[in-house]
Amino acid sequence: MTTPSTASGWAIGTDVGGTFTDLWLRSPEGESWVCKSPTTSDVVTGVIDAVHLAAGTVGLDTGELCSRVTRFGHGTTVGLNALLTGRSARTGLITTAGFGDVLEIGRLRRGTAGLQGLDLGDYHLRGQVPPLVPRTQVVEITERVDADGVVRTPLDEGSVLDAIGRLREIGVEAVAVCLLWATENPAHELAVARLVEEKLPGVFLSLSHEIAPSVGEYARASTTVANAALGPVQGRYLTLLEERLAALGMTAPIMMTTSAGGVVPARTVTERPVSNLLSGPASCVVAGQKLGAELGTPHVLTMDVGGTSFDVGVIAGGVALMSDEVTFGGADMRVPSIDIASIGAGGGSIAAVEGGALGVGPRSAGAEPGPVCYGKGGTEPTTTDADLVLGVLDPEQFGSGGIVLDREAARRAITDRVGAPLGLNAVEAARAIRVVFDNAMADLLRAVTIERGHDPREFTLVAGGGSGPSHAWALCREAGLAGFVVPPTATAQSAFGAGTSDLRTTASRTCYRRVLAEVGPSDQDARVVADALDDTRARALAALPDPGVGTVTHTASIRYFGQAHHVDVTVAAAPDKDAAAELLLCFEKEYEQLWGKESGFREAGFEILSVRSVAALPAADADGHGTGEPFTRLGTRPVVFDDADRPDETAVYTVRRPAAGQEIAGPALVQLPGCVVVIPPRGVATTDALGLIHVKVN
Amino acid sequence: MTVAIDVAPVSPDGASTDQVIRQVVRSRLVAITDQMRLALQSVSGSPTVTEASDFFTGIYLPDGAFVTMGHQVTFEAPPVGSLIRHLLSNGTKLKDGDRIIGNDPFIGALHQNDVQMCAPLIVDGELLGWAGVMAHETDIGGMDFASWSPKATEVWQEGLRIPAVKLVDGGELREDVLEMILTASRLPDQVGLDIRAFIATLNVAAERLTDLSHRYGKSTVLSVMHTMVDDAEALVRARLRELPDGVVHTRDFLEHDGKQNLLFVIDCVLTKRGDSLHFDFSGSSPQANGFVNSSRAGLAGGVAGAVIPTLGFGIPWNEGLLRPVEISAPDGLVCTAVPPAPVGSATVEAVWTVSNVVSAALNRLLLASPKYAHRAQAVSSGTMATFNLSGRDRHGKVFGLHLMDPLAGGFGAFADHDGQNAAGPINAPCPSIADVEVNEQKTPLFYHYRRLAPGTGGAGRRRGGLGAEVGITVSVPQAEALVMTHGAEVPNSVGLGGGLPGAMVSQRFRAAGEQPRDLGPKPGSFPITPADLFEVTWQGGGGIGDPLDRDPADVLDDIRYGLVTEVEARESYGVVLAGDGGSVDATATAAARRERRAARLGVEPVAVMDPVAVTDAVPSDAVRLGDRLLLVKDAATGRFQVRTPEGVVLSSGSTKWREGAHRFALTLPPSVGTALHSDLAVTGWACPSTGALLAVDVHLSGHEPFHDLELDLASFERTGTTAGDHR
Repeated sequence: MTTPSTASGWAIGTDVGGTFTDLWLRSPEGESWVCKSPTTSDVVTGVIDAVHLAAGTVGLDTGELCSRVTRFGHGTTVGLNALLTGRSARTGLITTAGFGDVLEIGRLRRGTAGLQGLDLGDYHLRGQVPPLVPRTQVVEITERVDADGVVRTPLDEGSVLDAIGRLREIGVEAVAVCLLWATENPAHELAVARLVEEKLPGVFLSLSHEIAPSVGEYARASTTVANAALGPVQGRYLTLLEERLAALGMTAPIMMTTSAGGVVPARTVTERPVSNLLSGPASCVVAGQKLGAELGTPHVLTMDVGGTSFDVGVIAGGVALMSDEVTFGGADMRVPSIDIASIGAGGGSIAAVEGGALGVGPRSAGAEPGPVCYGKGGTEPTTTDADLVLGVLDPEQFGSGGIVLDREAARRAITDRVGAPLGLNAVEAARAIRVVFDNAMADLLRAVTIERGHDPREFTLVAGGGSGPSHAWALCREAGLAGFVVPPTATAQSAFGAGTSDLRTTASRTCYRRVLAEVGPSDQDARVVADALDDTRARALAALPDPGVGTVTHTASIRYFGQAHHVDVTVAAAPDKDAAAELLLCFEKEYEQLWGKESGFREAGFEILSVRSVAALPAADADGHGTGEPFTRLGTRPVVFDDADRPDETAVYTVRRPAAGQEIAGPALVQLPGCVVVIPPRGVATTDALGLIHVKVN
Repeated sequence: MTVAIDVAPVSPDGASTDQVIRQVVRSRLVAITDQMRLALQSVSGSPTVTEASDFFTGIYLPDGAFVTMGHQVTFEAPPVGSLIRHLLSNGTKLKDGDRIIGNDPFIGALHQNDVQMCAPLIVDGELLGWAGVMAHETDIGGMDFASWSPKATEVWQEGLRIPAVKLVDGGELREDVLEMILTASRLPDQVGLDIRAFIATLNVAAERLTDLSHRYGKSTVLSVMHTMVDDAEALVRARLRELPDGVVHTRDFLEHDGKQNLLFVIDCVLTKRGDSLHFDFSGSSPQANGFVNSSRAGLAGGVAGAVIPTLGFGIPWNEGLLRPVEISAPDGLVCTAVPPAPVGSATVEAVWTVSNVVSAALNRLLLASPKYAHRAQAVSSGTMATFNLSGRDRHGKVFGLHLMDPLAGGFGAFADHDGQNAAGPINAPCPSIADVEVNEQKTPLFYHYRRLAPGTGGAGRRRGGLGAEVGITVSVPQAEALVMTHGAEVPNSVGLGGGLPGAMVSQRFRAAGEQPRDLGPKPGSFPITPADLFEVTWQGGGGIGDPLDRDPADVLDDIRYGLVTEVEARESYGVVLAGDGGSVDATATAAARRERRAARLGVEPVAVMDPVAVTDAVPSDAVRLGDRLLLVKDAATGRFQVRTPEGVVLSSGSTKWREGAHRFALTLPPSVGTALHSDLAVTGWACPSTGALLAVDVHLSGHEPFHDLELDLASFERTGTTAGDHR
């Protein structure tokens, strides 16, 4: 089969973050490396730099490496950054007459967008996020379709031509069309599209029923507008990246990571840039999923602690939990995404005492000025400063680019800003910061497991990100987990995911049916669902390079009538009436698992909202896993675990990729590339043939 | 406190003093409250909960004081505590696993629709505290759909009243009680799903609190709960000490009690001394015959609803914020109604209006404090015009809808920036309304439009936010609409410091083939068919400062964005555009502004002085009571004076600056509305030499406007808040 095999050549995965561009590299023999290069303002140069760095790491000429690469996976926040910094294309929005303020009103939710915690109670801070398209660039047209897809007001072509004329005057580069109920009857959107293409040739066009086929015009319009605004930016970016890589001799096609997990050929993304807005965190979860499969454990929790956030993904029964709605740049968006629970607390998060309470994040010191200990002008203490004061970080070893961390400055800042208000000394205060941070992470972990009907103790925790492996032990204790696993690529899990993910495409559409409990689903209900599935299945497969060998899975979104939250239930390809009834029973079972016994209330009736098909083409694995090396003991240093007054003298090791069959007892620190694994007192670390470090905390 | 329940409270002895543990427990309590919200929103079947946020979840001290609340409707902060205090005082025997339900407005609810449940959190046989939850139920029985009826003359007609009943007894659901409640409602499925959600919510709280207590010790958990409330109290008291002492007098009105178009006064005299606040509502109207009243519980909700967001910014929200607050008023007023008075629409009528006057009073104090002047805010969304719809949907099922779209009123202007459009009222920290498509899918509504309503924002140097408007009908052959509001003839969203009120509500109905007609404030219920059109425009937010002080460039932007019409720009803001329509004609604008100032004084334009420009920046050498009202200490006499920036002395020895201002009858611009209630008048106050607008008073016609602010000048002497002479 013609899957993008990695086995025959080298594989590269890249992930562009705000500070670093991560690269993961694997030889045909299965040996892997990670490296980091600073992200550049044009993004592309940072990627190219990372490729040069990687070639140097394995002792190959860049051209030679590139010519042997058969898989190039790429994840980037270029779209996200463009959206957040307003550097996206000038975009016009066409709406149904009477509803042009869809983004302005924003379900009233836009006003509080971006506010968290205590800030939500400060109304003076509201309304800082402008709509994605200003009111002056919104044009209304005469037409109206109703909830059943029936045309209530025919499309007035004259009004469309007037609207297009106004958009031409404004000089838009992109046009989004979001008409009411286009999901149920797209005829008007399609007619508008024909006119836009004719009158505004070359403009990037996005239609809401294609980009975000779901009911609810605010999120659908936001998503469509974001897609349109990013189209020209992403297109230019990918063209440039392709050119620069080709110039290095790369022949492998660029595979872009998506928010839904997996990769798609880059050309697919140029039409739907919005589908990869959150691809970085999603790749990290996909990497954890892959790891779970290799370990033979179906339940995996992935944690990724970067500079500004803590992200958790849940893989239950081998399947990553998905979500349809994400909040982005202050707007609700509908993009099928791997469900990432996130809080604004990471290595750079600022610790502060407000209202008598010690909080960590969501404010972050970012890359500039960064934590106090970086000595780049930061004055507010961060979790990284606390880790340094506690002894977890080595002032000499941690910083990339040879920065020596300033422990004294971190101590002073922690004493002044946290210790003094709480009556604690520097080490006590540093420990307080760590404990509050760890507990915030544990709260989130509980929210995505216990509160959703999962027992966290049945899950394997995969720790990733620069600060993940050093905090996982405390998180395990708080959440009642026995231990965690650290891959040698922990610091670059998203790049690893980009390099190894399966090809995966998603298609969804609405198929609203209200089913009364006393009647049950009808033949008509089943037929509507089956027809919708035919369509989504065909579209999902069509997006694969080789549809003949793809596998497809289907789900239906169902809820009790009136509720806000739905449950995605697996459904057969062509359900009949009995299968539809069975589907509702499955929904009820899953609902009870989520919300408790007897929480269901079938008397309210059901709503079948939409269906989704996911087509996948597995990526081939390398034959072997490479070899590792023994831990190298560097010495010991005091580290504070549970008692600020009595640090434990802790052994420090270093390794790039550990060989199998090793064991070390806690307390110990293992320095991996870009992160430190903390093994607490009474804990123990072992290694396996996959190069993983398994840490038991009790 | 005498605890009449037979469960011993947790002893505070032996609580951990470890700051780290205490911080962890504190954040865990906040996290548990959020889990309660998630449980409620996930299981509930009410759009008011799932798509909007008309509900409350919280954790309470053993005595009923709330320790945590989600960022939810602030009116709803006190009610569950009142239910708990009722249980404590009536000797109810409680055990682990009990879940109590109630909705009695004469115990704690704002109106019967607010169904509340609470659970004693009993850990190892001792009372640690309580968990509470409440939400607005669309129908809980009574003579008319939605449990509020303009026809009602007695509270007994308005729906099932549940004082405090064990719905779950020691973990066993009392099916008979549940059936009784559901049988009373026209929407048993919806109420049934919600009650399940309530129980799930309380169970989440009970389980998590028990885990937390076992981990850190229940005395530690209780002690941290007390500390959280004490901390918030200390912080808000410290903030109060930064505000000047004095008496603030504010008034708002609501028209029509459902039967007669009478005008009801909500009168608030706020006395602020040191770190305490005393609100006196004695000057309010006697209770109404119709359903606009609130009980004393509603009054407490209305006060809390404004105090929490206005003073509680940056402070965790809990009962500590309310400890400095005292409320007094005799029984039998429109805001302290007693049976048989109906209270069905209390939340959107008397409670809402109470919140308006409290907000207006507190913001006058913020404005007079140099530290907080920039965040003083005019009144936001002074009403919530209700639209309920009932009938049978296309599946033949009974449906009921309590439309949340009317939350989309305008935010009041802040002293340093314009009010946000369609931002919602101050009682909703995380406001939300459903998509048009979601409403059309779930209910037989059909929208003709939902959009911002240009011109509704109160004019001012800082403009109030625009309200939104909808035109709606139905997609079934016929349904019954229930429409009512106040603020169709009262500009409730008043401005501050010379800013104008936001637009009044306008409700119109166009029957098939007829001309649209104005519905007034409370048309009550009427049938609606697909050929009819109901239209409503909600109030905009109030403005701050004289509209003639608004930067013409900002007005030009407002026109460009379609927020202000060219006519309004000329009439209210005195801004004239150049011939191309794309720029300001500076000369014509200066002349127009001078003309308008002269008209206020009733003199020729040549006779008025040019005013000094006003900016956001607060002068360092005076206390600014309004954009153009400066409180300074006169060096020569040693007396405090209120002067304009041009040096015109308006009052001496007191802050009763109206004594020296020019008074004139102010006609509200057409954009505010033309249907001012016949018992109301509007008076403008202008600087006698420049004609700059200093204040706009909406008051009873035939009554004198009063001094709204009488600061205790001696307190300035004590604290040295004014920097001294202003030269």
